[in-house]
Amino acid sequence: MCEGIARRSPASPADLWDGSRHPRARLEERAVARFHQAVSCLCLPMDSLRAEADALEAEIKALRRACVELPAPGEDTSPVRQSFQDIYQSDSEGWESLKDLRSHLGHVESELQFLSLLTGISIRNYSKKTEDLTSTEMTEKNIKKVLQRHRLSGSCHMITFQLEFQILEIQNKESLSSVITDLSIIMEPTEYSELSEFVSRTEERRDLFMFFRSLHFFVEWCEYRKRTFKHFKEKYPETVHLTKGASSSYMGIRSHSRPEFELVIVWRIQIDEEGKVLPRLDLLTKAPLSALELDKNRVIETAPLSFRTLLGVLGIEATLESLIKSLCTEEQVPTQ
Amino acid sequence: MELANTLSQDGESGGGVLAHLERLETQMSRSHKKLEEPQSAQAVESALGTKIRQLRCLRDKLRAEVRHRQARIKASTASVAPDQTLEMSEQDILERRQENLKAILQAYRFTGISGKLTSRGVCVCISTAFEGNLLDSYFVDLVMQKPLRIHHHSIPVFIPLEEIAAKYLQTNIQHFLFILSEYLNAYSGRKFQADRLQSDFTALLAGPLQRNSLCTVLSFTYNVELKGQSFPFGARLLYKDLTTTLPTDVSITHQGMDTLPSTWEEQRAAHESLFFKKPLHQVFTSFARKGDELDVNLAF
Repeated sequence: MCEGIARRSPASPADLWDGSRHPRARLEERAVARFHQAVSCLCLPMDSLRAEADALEAEIKALRRACVELPAPGEDTSPVRQSFQDIYQSDSEGWESLKDLRSHLGHVESELQFLSLLTGISIRNYSKKTEDLTSTEMTEKNIKKVLQRHRLSGSCHMITFQLEFQILEIQNKESLSSVITDLSIIMEPTEYSELSEFVSRTEERRDLFMFFRSLHFFVEWCEYRKRTFKHFKEKYPETVHLTKGASSSYMGIRSHSRPEFELVIVWRIQIDEEGKVLPRLDLLTKAPLSALELDKNRVIETAPLSFRTLLGVLGIEATLESLIKSLCTEEQVPTQ
Repeated sequence: MELANTLSQDGESGGGVLAHLERLETQMSRSHKKLEEPQSAQAVESALGTKIRQLRCLRDKLRAEVRHRQARIKASTASVAPDQTLEMSEQDILERRQENLKAILQAYRFTGISGKLTSRGVCVCISTAFEGNLLDSYFVDLVMQKPLRIHHHSIPVFIPLEEIAAKYLQTNIQHFLFILSEYLNAYSGRKFQADRLQSDFTALLAGPLQRNSLCTVLSFTYNVELKGQSFPFGARLLYKDLTTTLPTDVSITHQGMDTLPSTWEEQRAAHESLFFKKPLHQVFTSFARKGDELDVNLAF
């Protein structure tokens, strides 16, 4: 199979500093360098980049601490002079494996970091208990029955979760069947009311993969909504009002000169029975009674319906922009 | 700043390495200040990317410096025994952490998407399940170059992989993987239902199940019992949405008679709506159960 030229990842800067290197450590370092190159090829949303920057800064802080604790070259390393040859012998082995351990650990950490960037899901803790349920009858027929209890916790952006699930594995001569027999989910923050129904449905269906899939799409839509609200707030600061914050489902549009008229965009993100994540936008109007009486063409009354049509034609951003522009015709040029 | 302190302590000898690191750091804080100025989204993103590269560089150099110092300590340990007990516990801590991290690596398969770094990139494994039953896994081997490339994969040919890759692979890899997972899980689910129908309900089927490889067109005839009479219904299920496990079109027809008596018509309509709402094999489970109930009635 023609693979093309496999590019050797550039030597890590660490190689330039340290002369004598353990061969396996070198291999591990190449793996870490590969990881960096892999990450640089991914087009990741900005939040992942920020998360990576934060993680790097934390690591640098820890390393600096370590640097301070270790005496610098040239300093007296230790006041105690002993000659325990045996201890030294075993100790040198200890040092060797410790060094190996550290670099191997670095490799595993890189792989985990990569997976978390790839999936957008960060698993912090995981534990598993296995219970053998094979009866003597089953063993005679060459059937093995095992119950696994898993506990998993982590986060996807701003949402943290804790899962407990059981998998029943039955192995007979022909096949191995694995079935999730129980699933329980705890999620925070609970301010996303749309999620509680989703959680109970997912637990009922024991659909572990759907949980993570829908979580990913839900979070993406939430981030997109937040970015869009923030964008319009920055562009039209006098007209757009985010009274409940950019992470909420509400965006108000109100002209500075005519504050009695208000349009409220309600942007909900719903998860249906099949786990599909869909945005649902609605328009609420507020107008003084006198205006409603003058509105012969019932423009205000039919606004919510027209809004839906407009969404279908222009898409979300263009629709919101046109609504804002319609109310701020007297406003100064927007700040951009 | 800690670095500055060690610098003054070391004097000449440590000055080289740490001074360099300090220079890197001031460079970074300068670019960090740049980030704080109002900028366009693109500029911020590229500044972030640069910052991340610089942070990585600094982190790698710090790592090397720590290792360097540890190595020198080891070299001068000939006549000194470092605190052995401290080392042992550090090893324990590290080993425990390694075990924990390795377990977490394994646990990623429960998200439905996991992967292993390879020599050329990453091999992603997408797992599928239906109603709690863990089913087939598929893999996609990605080459980490710009642009990202699929080296090879085990995705069935009737899943629109090229289409999905064209839309998302270069711009949002998380999206690419989760959408692919949606298609694969739906296919796995439909296949599971069709397989179960064929294997568990042959008694109720009046003929073979006709299906396409994507399991989006299913056609079969099944027997319905009512008041001691058995009648074949023809069913045709279409799944036009490739990301769902329930049909989008259901048509139940009768064979033979032109018009059905009202009770049969009721049954036919009820069955149609059942097939829309519940997975195929569950519908047949309820048929089988109803059959048992009827038998009980007849016995008395």
